[in-house]
Amino acid sequence: MPLRSTEAGWGALLRAFHWLIAALIIAQGILGLAMVQMGLTPAKVRVFALHKSIGMTILGLVLLRIAWRLSERRPLDPAAMPPWQRLAARGVHLALYLLILAIPLSGWWFNSASNAPLVWFGLFGVPSLTGGYDPVWKPRALLVHQTLFWVLVALLVAHVGAALWHHFRQRDDVLHRMVVGPRADKGGE
Amino acid sequence: MKHALGWMCLAALLGFAAPALAKPWQVDAARSTLAFTNTYQNVSYTGQFRRFRATIDYDPNDLAHAKFDVSVDITSLDTQNAERDHTALGADFFDAAKFPRAHFVTTSFRKTSDGKVLADGTLTLRGISKPVTLDVRFSPEGGTATLDVTARLKRLDFGIGTGQWADPSMIGDDVTVHGHLQLRGAAVTSGK
Repeated sequence: MPLRSTEAGWGALLRAFHWLIAALIIAQGILGLAMVQMGLTPAKVRVFALHKSIGMTILGLVLLRIAWRLSERRPLDPAAMPPWQRLAARGVHLALYLLILAIPLSGWWFNSASNAPLVWFGLFGVPSLTGGYDPVWKPRALLVHQTLFWVLVALLVAHVGAALWHHFRQRDDVLHRMVVGPRADKGGE
Repeated sequence: MKHALGWMCLAALLGFAAPALAKPWQVDAARSTLAFTNTYQNVSYTGQFRRFRATIDYDPNDLAHAKFDVSVDITSLDTQNAERDHTALGADFFDAAKFPRAHFVTTSFRKTSDGKVLADGTLTLRGISKPVTLDVRFSPEGGTATLDVTARLKRLDFGIGTGQWADPSMIGDDVTVHGHLQLRGAAVTSGK
């Protein structure tokens, strides 16, 4: 199982990044939607703290993933894929990368403007982006955070839909090579 | 001898050399602060009470007649986080609707062997009165002075955030209160 991606499929490290970040994003969405409904109790404070810690984790993983992704090649698109689909896929992928950077950043920004603590899993403090309470930027950061989340949900519907369409309708290996890597018969490195 | 005693009594009655009757310092509210430090989720933060009234009778050379009397408008709480302030004023914490003011009054002043001045007093906060000792640092400068007082309290002693909020890893029990007052309009006696 090659660590690096090849023209036939995604390498193990990129797949690990993909699925780990995907799982954390799903957890974040659920936590984020649930926590704002909670009454003010210590449990709510802890769920918020967890949401913040996972968010900062995603931010760090996405930065590492981008650095890694830039260092390796992209597998070839299926030969039958028309240019508009390649373009659409590239556009959605680029937008997803931007969103999964911008959403944790806007959350960090909102937390900073709220002058709320941010201690990564209780281990170390994350510095403020605003240098203290900022009542002007606080609601703006929250609006950005929430709006981009719903844009992400919409793009994820497209992304997952396209992956399933490739797998079940096109019967190509687009989904397969992200789940288990390149097919053995297609060769690797 | 008898005569002299009489004069001294008269002098005392008239208020000469009677520091208890000295006029108190005036507090320059704009340059004075009443702040506190506590932790939230183990992160230190500082809050302030923006409005308080302090009556300060203080002459470092006449501690026997010194007196501080401070009344704090609890609703003037500002921790630079509007949501936190709102929560802190609620019934689980300061309960400002029921207890809008805190009051501190000294009972006696003493000097420690290393020359520090301590003021013992009673703090009434959220309807609970407890003894609190202030560490007093006083620096006169001409007709003005700065007064810095520090006290260490436990929020749970005063029932602030009990029950589900008692966990000190969520909200620290220890609170350091620091008052910084700019004073003018009184005088310090020269005697040492």
